[in-house]
Amino acid sequence: MTLVKSDLFRRYNKGRLVYYKLNIKSPLYQALKILMKKNISRNKDLISEGFSWLTKSSPAKISESVYCQTSDIFRARLEFFGNHLEKKVGTDAYLLTAIAGEIGNNSFDHNLGRWPGIPGIYFAYDEEKKIIALADRGQGIYKTISRVVPKVKDDKEALNIAFTKYISGRSPEKRGNGLKFVVENIRNKKWHLSFYSGRARLTINSKGLLEIEDFMRNIKGCFAVIRY
Amino acid sequence: MVVKLYKFGEMLISRPSGREAYLSAKAYLFTGKVGEIEFDFDGVKVLTPSWIDEFVSLLKSEYPSIKVTFRKSDNPTVISSLKMIKPSASSF
Repeated sequence: MTLVKSDLFRRYNKGRLVYYKLNIKSPLYQALKILMKKNISRNKDLISEGFSWLTKSSPAKISESVYCQTSDIFRARLEFFGNHLEKKVGTDAYLLTAIAGEIGNNSFDHNLGRWPGIPGIYFAYDEEKKIIALADRGQGIYKTISRVVPKVKDDKEALNIAFTKYISGRSPEKRGNGLKFVVENIRNKKWHLSFYSGRARLTINSKGLLEIEDFMRNIKGCFAVIRY
Repeated sequence: MVVKLYKFGEMLISRPSGREAYLSAKAYLFTGKVGEIEFDFDGVKVLTPSWIDEFVSLLKSEYPSIKVTFRKSDNPTVISSLKMIKPSASSF
């Protein structure tokens, strides 16, 4: 009764439907609003969304805000991301932008004109959870590396070559620095990287340890998750 | 000649944009006789090894005798990118 009098909490009956009306100035309304926002944010798991887009044969259309069909779109979003993040983490934002740029641009450089299916990449980030995710449905590391190292035996060896040797899938062009740059800076900053391609996963943990192991699923293309 | 890289943008990220920047510099900056080029990174927020490698590799392939130097910078992306391109840039 007191709640109704204060207009904090009113109950309404319409036929069999019962509903409540909250005063938007009340602390209860504000608390519910925050709770709902948190739930929405928790439900929007960008890693699951990226994996789903990557692994389904006919994936659901993803939001235009995370799908970059061309490198121009990726570049524009990356610059926005970098400038926005700079206000929160300072110059670390420059390194994170460069790392995401090298991974994302690799996807375009090695698949341009030969995307097996959907062109472009998935690029999403969560500033609160400090996660960046990038995915492409391209050729994958093994196929790219095997063009220049025909004897590469599996996905794990291909990942090792890509991340630790100065060799490029676009030989004879002199390339192949980008992923080494990624490794060095992830290690220096004690961040974390998981990179999936084929049936292999490369991880660099916060102690700088680089490990490559078998992965239970077959990732056709690449998927990178950076935690900072 | 000093090339102020911020004039190509604050975020110098991909190979295609490095190539585009080089072609623009070639047309509008490297018009006379250029014996030495010094890169100045002041005002650059993000540099990747891909961007600078593309620019410098094209420069060295078209002007093999040119001397290339880099001004010191405290930007971590500049420091790391220059370190990365050193194996292919030993002749700088």
